[in-house]
Amino acid sequence: MAATGQVKNPTATMGWARTGRSSMRSTNMIRAGIFFGMAICWEALSRSGLLFRDVVPSLFSIWASIWKLVSSPVFYANLQVTAWEIFASLAIGSGLGIAVGIILGANRFLGAAYEPYVYYLAPTPRIIFFPVMIMWFGVGVASKIALGALSCFFTVALSTAGGMREVDKVLIRVGRSFRATPWQMATKIYLPAMRAPVLNGIRLGFGTATVTCLLAETKLSNQGLGYMIMQIYARFDMPSLYGLLIIVFIIAGVGNLILGKVTGTSA
Amino acid sequence: MTLATSAAVDAASGKQPQLVIDNVFKQFGEGPGSVVAIDHMSFNVMPGEFVSVIGPSGCGKSTLFNIIGGLLDEYSGDVLIERERIAGPHKAVGMVFQEESTFPWRNVIDNVAFPLELLGVNKSERLDRAHHFIDLVGLKGFEKLMPSALSGGMRQRVSIARTLVSKPQILLMDEPFAALDEQTRLLLGDKITQIQQDLNQTTLLITHNLTEAVQLSDRIVVMTYRPGKVKRIVDIKLPRPRTSDVVSSDAFGHYVAEIWADLREEATRGMADSESAQRGGSRG
Amino acid sequence: MASPSLAQHRAIPIILGASTVIGVFVVLEVLLRIGVVNKYVVPLPSQVLLALERIIVEENIFGRMRETAYEMVVSCVMVIILGVPIGSLLYRWRSLRQAVLDWVAAMAAAPLVLAFPLFLVMFGRSPTTVIVMSVITGLAPIIIKTTEGLLGVRPVLINVGRSLKLTDWQMFHMILLPAALPTIFSGIRLSWTFVLISVVGIEFLINLGGLGQLINDLSERYDLPGTYGAIGFVILVSVAFFMILERVETWLRPAK
Repeated sequence: MAATGQVKNPTATMGWARTGRSSMRSTNMIRAGIFFGMAICWEALSRSGLLFRDVVPSLFSIWASIWKLVSSPVFYANLQVTAWEIFASLAIGSGLGIAVGIILGANRFLGAAYEPYVYYLAPTPRIIFFPVMIMWFGVGVASKIALGALSCFFTVALSTAGGMREVDKVLIRVGRSFRATPWQMATKIYLPAMRAPVLNGIRLGFGTATVTCLLAETKLSNQGLGYMIMQIYARFDMPSLYGLLIIVFIIAGVGNLILGKVTGTSA
Repeated sequence: MTLATSAAVDAASGKQPQLVIDNVFKQFGEGPGSVVAIDHMSFNVMPGEFVSVIGPSGCGKSTLFNIIGGLLDEYSGDVLIERERIAGPHKAVGMVFQEESTFPWRNVIDNVAFPLELLGVNKSERLDRAHHFIDLVGLKGFEKLMPSALSGGMRQRVSIARTLVSKPQILLMDEPFAALDEQTRLLLGDKITQIQQDLNQTTLLITHNLTEAVQLSDRIVVMTYRPGKVKRIVDIKLPRPRTSDVVSSDAFGHYVAEIWADLREEATRGMADSESAQRGGSRG
Repeated sequence: MASPSLAQHRAIPIILGASTVIGVFVVLEVLLRIGVVNKYVVPLPSQVLLALERIIVEENIFGRMRETAYEMVVSCVMVIILGVPIGSLLYRWRSLRQAVLDWVAAMAAAPLVLAFPLFLVMFGRSPTTVIVMSVITGLAPIIIKTTEGLLGVRPVLINVGRSLKLTDWQMFHMILLPAALPTIFSGIRLSWTFVLISVVGIEFLINLGGLGQLINDLSERYDLPGTYGAIGFVILVSVAFFMILERVETWLRPAK
């Protein structure tokens, strides 16, 4: 399991496939029950006045603030900035990650020499590099893109290196026995074999880049969704804080799902 | 020897059977897709006797094992131990499973002492009794090792020692040597015979291995292929005490041939069944 | 093949890797001294090393480590106290598991740490915020791995327990839990790694606590060598932590 890796989809490995239709229905009923139960407890707590001011705001006010946010141009402006940061981080980090991963995976010697550094530096609190990025790239989006790229580089590099090593040795020998040129080997054997691990690495990298860019924005920024979160926090506008967080989680989740579908990998 | 005669012999000797299987019937599923695993089987096991149940693969032997062991609750008919109908695993029964069942996180002596731990026996007595049975199965000196350091045969011996340590009145074993090679099996068979004779241990062994059954048993119950019924009960009148040398005797060969004649018919039916299932291809 | 040369063989990549790292620093030092790289952006590696000593002495590094360690220990313990029982419940009740496990998996993938401003409001700038946030981040892997480990216990071991008429509780703590432990620990490893990253990260973000705050302080003072030194130090600590966890996990594995 990669150091910063995901936990494999548990339901897939736990025989979920054997679920019949009636069992599906009771599952959905339990889910609905839990969902509504929690919603009711929340609302009750909110109206009880037990907690300090707006710490648990009414669900209706949260809903209202979500609508307000989603219909404000400010939200979309910030969304654009963050989206651009994530996209650029992912592009740079993946590009470098794939290149380094291929080298480390293909060459056993170089892999033995350098991959441990990548492997052990991956599960570290990389956000603490932010001051360095600010010194190098200034306080604008560039520093956040740099930090995001640094974060997802590790994920992609490790997935790619692992994928390179996993390429079935037999297939490589088949290619050699047909005297394939390096270019042919790369495009006809390695590329198709590597598709899954590389795309999975990119999908995981998307998650890392998203968190990193948003957190960096909360620390020091004047644009982006992270900045917006801190502004709302400073105003102590709790319903909007919950609202914006919910929106951000939904976007991140949907992004992950779409990437999963597009790349053919799953959570 | 037929079932009726065997029961008559038991009655004549005046002894009460320790384990009675009475008209046990087990069906899995309902309607057209259902499978009858055991079709009204009846036989007895007398105290101190070594009885084997032998049958081809797929005849329902493991189902029988689970029913007698109390792990399978839904069946019709009765399983009586000391004339008491069982309800769940009976405390007089010690089970040895076919699969690897030592606890990988405990060393040998802690594995063997486990049932005594459950009974609340104090530590020094636990260890004493565990040592005794570890010696009995020939693993003296291996007490502190972890199961991962032992061979498959040795681990199976640990499982057997663990079952014996609580002095079960009836030892119930399901193909315990199935995963072992022939030589190990013969030698372990010797060990089991010796233990059974020393302790006068009532034993019921479920197996598919013909030579093993003849080597170890006083009586053999031959099962038909699914649905499992008692085809024959054979008295094994080989001398006691016995060792694995007995496999080279004439009498041994006769018994094996006699039982194989019965078994072969059932095994053939079993093979034909599985071949047609494979050729049939798609799910039914 | 004589064993000394085989050992040499394996040491070469390690030496290459280490010397590359040192080489990079040496080159950097040279480039900085001759003015090719801007000294106001990247400090001299030699100065960073000196700064490390200064930090340890002046910045109460052990006090700070204690702070961070306190938050770590509380979070790590809480995450097990909550995660293992929840995972066990999900193992026990199939209908609950089928309903909820997907949600837990989604939680494991979600950027939960973004919600830290919420907890800032609830608990203020305090270690509690750091702890609560880190526990939430680290909970999902333990729940998932506990359930997975328990479900993966070999049926024969459960049958041994049944044949010995174990009570539910006996079955759980004498057979199920020990058998599932290697898997559960890999969940703990993942979880505690997230906890460390979260604790230090939140300390850095909200400028509170121990090591994370140290980096913040130093960077706000424009203490370049100090900032780089502190970052390096924290990274080394987290790498060491991760390595120890890995060692323990491998040690647990042979209990197969």
